[in-house]
Amino acid sequence: MTFTWKIGGEAGFGIMTTGLVFSKIASRLGYKIFDFIEYPSLIRGGHNAYEVRISDEDVKAPAPFIDCLVCLNLDTLKKHQKRLQTSSLVIYDEEDFQAEGNFQKISVPYNKIIKKNQGPTVMKNTIALGASLALLGGDFEILEKIIEEQFKNKGEKIIDFNKKFAFDGYQHIIKNYPNQIKPILKKIKKEDQLVLSGNDAFSLASVIADCRMYVAYPMTPASSVLATLASWQEKTGMIVRHAEDEISVINTAIGSSFAGARSAVGTSGGGFALMVEAIALAGITETPLVIFLSQRPGPATGMPTWTEQGDLLFAINAGHGEFPKIVLAPGDAEEMIELTAKAYNLADIYQTPVIIMSDMHLSESHFSVSLDFINKFIANYSVDRGKTIKLEDLKNSNLPKKFYNLNQNSQFQNFLRYQITEDGISLRLLPGEEGYYYQANSYEHLENGHTTEEGDQRREQVNKRNRKIITYLKNHFQIPKVYGDLAKAEIIFVSWGSTKGAVIEAQKILAKSSKSTAFIHFNHLYPLAKEKINHLFLTNKKYVLVENNSWGQLGKLLMQEIGIEIKEKILKYDGRQITPEEIINSL
Amino acid sequence: MVSINDFNGYPPTWCPGCGNWAIGVAIKTALTQLNFSPSSIVAVFGIGCSGNMNDFLNAYAIHSLHGRAIPNAIGIKLANHNLRVLAIVGDGDCYGEGGNHFIHACRGNHDITVIVHDNRVYGLTTGQVAPTAQKGFQSKSTPAGIIEVPLDPLSLAIISGATFVSQVFAGETIQMIEIIKKAIQHQGFSLVNVLQPCVSFNKVNTYQYYKERIFKLDKNHNPKNKQQALMIASSILEEKFPLGIIYQSEELAYHQQLKQLESGQTLISRPRFNNFEAIFKNFI
Repeated sequence: MTFTWKIGGEAGFGIMTTGLVFSKIASRLGYKIFDFIEYPSLIRGGHNAYEVRISDEDVKAPAPFIDCLVCLNLDTLKKHQKRLQTSSLVIYDEEDFQAEGNFQKISVPYNKIIKKNQGPTVMKNTIALGASLALLGGDFEILEKIIEEQFKNKGEKIIDFNKKFAFDGYQHIIKNYPNQIKPILKKIKKEDQLVLSGNDAFSLASVIADCRMYVAYPMTPASSVLATLASWQEKTGMIVRHAEDEISVINTAIGSSFAGARSAVGTSGGGFALMVEAIALAGITETPLVIFLSQRPGPATGMPTWTEQGDLLFAINAGHGEFPKIVLAPGDAEEMIELTAKAYNLADIYQTPVIIMSDMHLSESHFSVSLDFINKFIANYSVDRGKTIKLEDLKNSNLPKKFYNLNQNSQFQNFLRYQITEDGISLRLLPGEEGYYYQANSYEHLENGHTTEEGDQRREQVNKRNRKIITYLKNHFQIPKVYGDLAKAEIIFVSWGSTKGAVIEAQKILAKSSKSTAFIHFNHLYPLAKEKINHLFLTNKKYVLVENNSWGQLGKLLMQEIGIEIKEKILKYDGRQITPEEIINSL
Repeated sequence: MVSINDFNGYPPTWCPGCGNWAIGVAIKTALTQLNFSPSSIVAVFGIGCSGNMNDFLNAYAIHSLHGRAIPNAIGIKLANHNLRVLAIVGDGDCYGEGGNHFIHACRGNHDITVIVHDNRVYGLTTGQVAPTAQKGFQSKSTPAGIIEVPLDPLSLAIISGATFVSQVFAGETIQMIEIIKKAIQHQGFSLVNVLQPCVSFNKVNTYQYYKERIFKLDKNHNPKNKQQALMIASSILEEKFPLGIIYQSEELAYHQQLKQLESGQTLISRPRFNNFEAIFKNFI
């Protein structure tokens, strides 16, 4: 079973909240959900829409048709009519407009109900939610409960007020459209699950990974991470700083990380551009840092509330000079949890910046994630701070014999923060430990941190930092996951990050018409281990690159790093996420 | 006992006669007299001749980017508020490239001490004009004389919310040590603007120039009086330079207002959070 419900209306009419409540209702009943939003960069006016796909099996991409369209205005019908079928239900108020077309018309008197209950026009969404629930065969109690939770801080009066509108919408359907009711929202509860957006998943995983400092400047579509972590900070103890600009953001986090707190920053392309100089600072000072980069279409301000995968090559090349940097790009909420938590460990182990790439589609769409998955993940996750050590660890006999420069004239010794090692990683003593000192230096430096301009020492430090890349590729790089059988496949898709859901859905549809496909999904994007990936690219197969950008940036990266050219490309760059149908139709 | 020798790093590479020598000695002396050690303070250096002190002062330190020492310092303080944090920066560094950070760090009353080497030129890049230069100052980047009026850092700090605003002269070492000590002891954002001749690239603002124009604050000066402080601070614009604590007030520092740090434990030392159930509720 799969069913798509969509609500649309003017910005400012509570479309986002209503959509999320619908997703949560479906999730509580046991269905898997996938939802996404469409909105302009405006607070009032303009068209907002929220689409929820529910299914009894895993779902991570939209369906081609809308089964129930809730119109809070005529615009909604006009904009989405092309995706209606004759069986589609369309909820609207005939007092607002006459719905014309070949679909099931369900008129709900929003305006009359609002007048009767003396409420503001914004209550249209609550009426529509009640009507939707009735039309899809759900019990009213589940909506009642959510309303109670939503408004529990505002008192009984507000709760009852909201319930009235929802109930009137619900009753209108029961009385007037009993034959149109479809048994969609019947309880099938199997396991507890959460409704998580990509940004929620990043936030949650940051807490799981014991991130103690998050610094950001608001920028769509990364802003909700700042709001979420800030709202939790008294509970979690994390310090969340909204700094004056992104340059301050990343430099604050470099300071807190230097002092020993796991630290992260979050932004989108423009803010990331401002951070680039300091990414190099983290690189040469070997300071751990997690950077959350949620892409939107650029260049410059671009299309702030839409989606694109246009910053891959920018991210991997961000920062002047040569230094190790790890770039990861999860494909869905579960991967966001896994890779975010891993990113904090990698940043500490390799003492270098790690970038987690998302985009508006992944950041703001919601996914069902089983609570069992999260609890198991938490139980199995351990914080690995790599070679970060405390004073008492210095007595450990496993340490190198010499870890400081002896200062004859003082009881304070210069710790060798940048000691040359085989794996490229040096011991990191946190500032404040008695008896030692060192500097983290943005200039090229000696093992003890002091500035140098000598050729040999420069080369030694460059080589040391570069060896971290080799160590990472050996110990932590993961080859792309392959969905399907490469040997049997007629077509092999190649993509990265958030396009995962659409490609897997396309594979399912193609399988129904006996087309066998495979899919190579990259989420450990940089650096790449050529010898570990080569075998995935067979000479006699048809490979198709799928990306949400106009350059095919993963294609360029694969060409550069492993010398493989994928000639067939399906690229989308109109600000909208590529859909399974678009992939199939482009073959 | 910690002695000044404990802070002595590599021999300085500053020009003979440069004000940095005196500032370096004053900072080390102040730290020694206050009983700090290279292990109990963190210094963040900007880029410039002032920032080159990184190699001459033994301490936990970051030699940062040009203009970015202040946000680094804020991050360190928030992560481990038991550390005393100094930002040792230049005029172009702090008032030019990092001007935005300076204003907002004042607003936040972050508990850091910012020591600005104000020589009115860019020394390390061999003599371009700085934001504090007098209007008309001729330099490599302004051969016809700078058109902008000078920035008044003391007034800017006061109106932006800094709670300790002071000025000293590199030629008056004893006062410099005393004021730096008071700035370090102050709870909240403290600024020490150090007037400093650049013997190589500034032939106008020399030792002689300053000696003729500096003045000590009146004994009756009340640093808590903001109006009076602003009046005195702005005399810079008439090329008269007040020395001493121009403004000081007692306010809670940024980290003292964070509920997360109420227990007194530092951010890095508190136990790990593990009540995930409380967070899951938001997503069901």
